[in-house]
Amino acid sequence: MISPGKKTLAQRLFEPKSVEAQALVPKIATYAVLLFWSLVVLFPLYWVLVTSFKSESDVFSGPFYLPFIDFQPNLDAWRFMLLENNTLRPYFNSVIVAVASTGLAVLIGSLAAYALVRIRFQVTLASIGCFLALLAAVVVAVAAAQVPWPVATAAAVVLFVIFLGTIGRRFRLSVGNNDIEFWMISNRIMPPIVAVLPIYVMFQHLKLLDTQVALIATYTAVNLPIVVWLTRDFFAGIPLDLEESAEIDGASKFRVFFTIALPLVRSGLVATLLLVLILAWNEYLLALFLSNANAQTMPVLVSAQNTTRGPQWWYMSVLIVIMIVPVIVIAAFLQKHIARGLLVGAVKG
Amino acid sequence: MRVSLQEIHKSFGAVDVVKGLNLEIADGEFLVLLGPSGCGKTTALRMVAGLESVTAGRIFIGERDVTDVLPKYRDVAMVFQSYALYPHMTVAENIGYPLKLRSVTKTEQDARIREAAGKVHLEDFLDRYPRQLSGGQRQRVALARAIVRRPSLFLMDEPLSNLDAKLRGYMRSELKRLQADLGVTTIYVTHDQIEAMTLAHRVAVMNKGVVQQIATPREIYDDPANLFVAGFIGSPPMNTIRGSVGDGCFVLPEGRIDIGGYAPAKDVILGFRPEDARIMAPGAGCVHATVFACELTGNETIVTCTLSDAQVVVKMDKDFDVPIDAPVGIQINNRKACLFDPATGERVRA
Repeated sequence: MISPGKKTLAQRLFEPKSVEAQALVPKIATYAVLLFWSLVVLFPLYWVLVTSFKSESDVFSGPFYLPFIDFQPNLDAWRFMLLENNTLRPYFNSVIVAVASTGLAVLIGSLAAYALVRIRFQVTLASIGCFLALLAAVVVAVAAAQVPWPVATAAAVVLFVIFLGTIGRRFRLSVGNNDIEFWMISNRIMPPIVAVLPIYVMFQHLKLLDTQVALIATYTAVNLPIVVWLTRDFFAGIPLDLEESAEIDGASKFRVFFTIALPLVRSGLVATLLLVLILAWNEYLLALFLSNANAQTMPVLVSAQNTTRGPQWWYMSVLIVIMIVPVIVIAAFLQKHIARGLLVGAVKG
Repeated sequence: MRVSLQEIHKSFGAVDVVKGLNLEIADGEFLVLLGPSGCGKTTALRMVAGLESVTAGRIFIGERDVTDVLPKYRDVAMVFQSYALYPHMTVAENIGYPLKLRSVTKTEQDARIREAAGKVHLEDFLDRYPRQLSGGQRQRVALARAIVRRPSLFLMDEPLSNLDAKLRGYMRSELKRLQADLGVTTIYVTHDQIEAMTLAHRVAVMNKGVVQQIATPREIYDDPANLFVAGFIGSPPMNTIRGSVGDGCFVLPEGRIDIGGYAPAKDVILGFRPEDARIMAPGAGCVHATVFACELTGNETIVTCTLSDAQVVVKMDKDFDVPIDAPVGIQINNRKACLFDPATGERVRA
């Protein structure tokens, strides 16, 4: 029995309490730590911003910290990057690729997550084995025997359907939802560099190298596991009664998904969307391989400023600033949707 | 609309939850499925709604076989125990959701939402969100959402069990009135026998996936089909004492009760309601017993007596009082007593 006035050490250390309620010295210490961390976070942003207004000589004879005092800011780098250099094309590429792949990944991923939560799948191991065997056969046929790939694929699909309809029924051993989920996440555990070359060859054969479509498709595929993984818990948190009620009220499964489930996980979905958008916006490795002059995105352009004449810090800073601004604007815009407590009042708690 | 369940079975893996359920529900009837938790009554309701598949058997709504029909095509409305209101929609949007799915015009939607809200006294709350409502109001929104599209069948899964006792009594009468006004066939699931007795035209008592008795509330109470129904209905439930039959009487070491000369078996169980017996002076009455406890509930006194190795409960007037361990006589109204077979628990009738 602990008397109300006395708290254990653990309680005193870890109980959350308002800064206002602290004594003077801890209060100063708290603010000092917060200030220090704010500097750690904000200084690089400040540094990039001021560097974008510096000229080459300012950068190399520096470091100069304060504009108008240490150095005279100018718009040379901005003028070059926005007017003379071809910056807008990669910028629009980035916007289109990031927005489209995020939209697709969130749409497909949330549908998949919802299905994994609400539908019990039983995929037999035999059908998976058959699928993989046929896939290998198609690859061998196309590569070694010069069979045209549409013919090989069509033959494989027919064989697969026949297998499912006949001997496939005899097998009982199957994988469940948890296995499917783990398989999806495992796609993301693999380092992307492993898959870059096969992906490159694939798009080469499809004649889609250096197009936005290639980047959108790849980013969508890469980000899908993250969306599934993050949103499945949100969907699992929706009371089943709500969806059953909607079904009895006359809604189809898709209608239930779009009018009941999606609005209820809105805050989680917005957080996921933001995360995936930033991942796609900043993606470098795949863009480096899959794009060239036409579909080049901003991260590739930024790294391209590290030229034979050394890193062009001032140009790089301009690009980084215009890359950061939309992310900050979108985050500020979506923040109000990341609110909790949306499910209050749904079912008697 | 008429509803018919024919030989319905439901198993979850190796567990049989519903075993051969047969129900014929007339048009406009209020049928209550009553039973202890886990007896399969909610599963039965969910099968009628289409939320649960049927392992074997057929379900008909009207003349239509709906056994394999999706819930949305069954034209039923369901009220959940948890109310299942859509939290991101206002009261009006909640009530109007079934209409929106049926592409009813906006003006007709508004009119029908107002009408449904009016029936449950919610006109002033149409713009609120569920989280801004009290439990009773949420319950009424769920009701309004069920009645707004005039379904051919209402399904209710313990709709009142989350309300406090006072509100529950009030909503019970509202519900009964509403069902009578609308005349829609209703299947209502509850474990509360008061709800079952007060609301139902007929009650189906279920236990372990099997219907024990389907009858009017009065019949269920006065004329239970077996020991389970006798012990489940009534508060306190029916007294049951085991004894033998001899000379046309039910014989106990403590006395004998005339059962009209009928002797079906050597051993029987005799059941009688607490209100069908009287405590008498020692020596009077047909059996003698000792008082175990005497409890005043306010409007009546409940006297528990020890008789053989069993305890029997007798309801007396509120002015009645006897000391503990006092010897008393009990007079049992033998015309209202029931006999049961001790082996099967089934009723033994003359």
